[in-house]
Amino acid sequence: MNYLGLAGRDLLRNPLRLTLTILAGAVGVTAFVFLSTVIDIFYYNARAAQVDRLIVRNKVSFTQPLPLSYYARIAALPGVTAVTHQEWFGGTLGDTQKDFFPNFAIDPRTFLEVFPEFAVPPQQLTAFRGDPCGALVGEQLARRFGWKPGDRVTLKGQIYPGDWTFNVHGIYTGTRAGVDTTAMVFGYRCINESEALTDARKDQVGIYAVRVDDPARSAQVAAAIDHMFDNSPYPTKTESEKAFQLGFVAMSSAIVTAVKVVSSVILLIILLVIGNTLAMGVRERTRDIATLRAMGFRPRTVVALVLAESSVIGLCSAALGVTAAPLLVGLFAKLIASRFGPLPDHLTRGHTLLVSALAAVAVSLLAGVGPALRAVRLPVAEGLRKVA
Amino acid sequence: MREEPLPAPPPMVRLRGVSKTYRRGTVEVPVLAAVDLTIDAGAFEAFMGPSGSGKSTLLNLISGLDQPTTGIAEVAGRDLAQMDDRELSDWRAAHVGFVFQLYNLIPVLTAAENVELPLLLTPLTRGERRRHVAAALELVGLTHRVGHRPPQLSGGEQQRVAIARAIVSDPDLIIADEPTGDLDRKAAEAVLDLFGVLHRDLKKTLVMVTHDPHAAERAGRVHQLDKGVLQ
Repeated sequence: MNYLGLAGRDLLRNPLRLTLTILAGAVGVTAFVFLSTVIDIFYYNARAAQVDRLIVRNKVSFTQPLPLSYYARIAALPGVTAVTHQEWFGGTLGDTQKDFFPNFAIDPRTFLEVFPEFAVPPQQLTAFRGDPCGALVGEQLARRFGWKPGDRVTLKGQIYPGDWTFNVHGIYTGTRAGVDTTAMVFGYRCINESEALTDARKDQVGIYAVRVDDPARSAQVAAAIDHMFDNSPYPTKTESEKAFQLGFVAMSSAIVTAVKVVSSVILLIILLVIGNTLAMGVRERTRDIATLRAMGFRPRTVVALVLAESSVIGLCSAALGVTAAPLLVGLFAKLIASRFGPLPDHLTRGHTLLVSALAAVAVSLLAGVGPALRAVRLPVAEGLRKVA
Repeated sequence: MREEPLPAPPPMVRLRGVSKTYRRGTVEVPVLAAVDLTIDAGAFEAFMGPSGSGKSTLLNLISGLDQPTTGIAEVAGRDLAQMDDRELSDWRAAHVGFVFQLYNLIPVLTAAENVELPLLLTPLTRGERRRHVAAALELVGLTHRVGHRPPQLSGGEQQRVAIARAIVSDPDLIIADEPTGDLDRKAAEAVLDLFGVLHRDLKKTLVMVTHDPHAAERAGRVHQLDKGVLQ
């Protein structure tokens, strides 16, 4: 026998209570991972943002347009290596948002220069670029609706009224994790050159995405762009891609904050559940602990024994929780997918699981501190008088 | 040629003017008053007295579980009042073995594991610990019960395991608090016989508190305590 064996035997004194405590902890860890994943979803695009990309939008709001004519002026600035523009189309498959998916009008000629993480087979790319109303769909979106090159997709425009039909020429994938493959992109010319579009809306885009040669010069280039359009009817606000994406998160800050608060509450619940179990266990063993102390076990050894118990509970809870959490997230993703379209793949990040597991163990250790200190603060002679 | 007499060994226990007062809220309760006591190394001494007379408090002071309010308590050559909690723990591990009325065995450990507990505080290897445990259990006649847990043992057997635990690290001083108080006569005799072996054969110093005059008879000297005063 050794100290670890002694802690293990103490832990197993009440197997039912131990099992229930671990299960309660595991449920807490699962919920914590789940909510952390929900928060991660909000930050998904911000995480995928590239440091060498800037987003130029209307200074008033990103819902306000910018002139197409800005393209050449931005592209001519020193430090700018590529520019593209895109416009949120917001079309739906039917009259409802039931089959919603993101769809954008883009510049097929320059899009991949700025977003090289979108991979399209060369033949499909050529076909897409050759057709003003050509479209590319992400692989997740294609899977969702069973689309393939050669299909025609008609969207009902919300911002651009009417029915718009696009020809699917290719399926894009991501060259790295974090690329959104749930969207559809199509040629900007298709809507800009349409007779259905009023003159007032022609030659306008939503945002420009700009690649810079040196990320360290991003702020300088951003300032130059904004300065260039300062006194125009369409002043700009240029920011890093990450800041732009975080702007969307900020719009949901109340929800994100609420989820974070609930996550913290869950950690508190784990703390209380494990702390309560350990406190009961230590209280029941008062005389045994006093006996160990009488034999010569130092206070810090007794503290270490109790903390070893709490960390084992934390580890078991964490192991169960991080195993169960991806399953729960998977079910959640399926539920969401059936209503609102697919979520990105690999939602539960290894980092989230690791942080959750570490948080569970840390909280368990914290829960053990109180009972452990109480165990050694009681005078030995008094502890020996306690009858179990 | 005239032989010089050997110097007398230092006493195992030397108490001088030891008193103990507990504080219950704002009230001070004196438990022991000016106790002077010397117990030689290798002695077997018993303390008797009515409940509340201070027997257990005296035992706690001798074994370093408690500190005197005033006076000097020297045990095994050390002034216990000068030691902090950690030093007292180490000192007890090296010098004191305990036998309690209710045995105080850890219920989830086997007899052998209970006996092994004090050895976890020593630098002995696992194999050496096993040999010491086997020897201690053999001494108390329980080699056939090594794998049994306390609830599977009789009261007498549990107390014999506790005695094995008390002696396994070879301490100088065995402290026994009502060791036969929870046993029937036959089991009590077996325990007292074991104490005789520890005293006579192993030369251990035994300090025992008891209510049982029959048990006290086994001791070399019996002290009476009454209202905190040693008679």
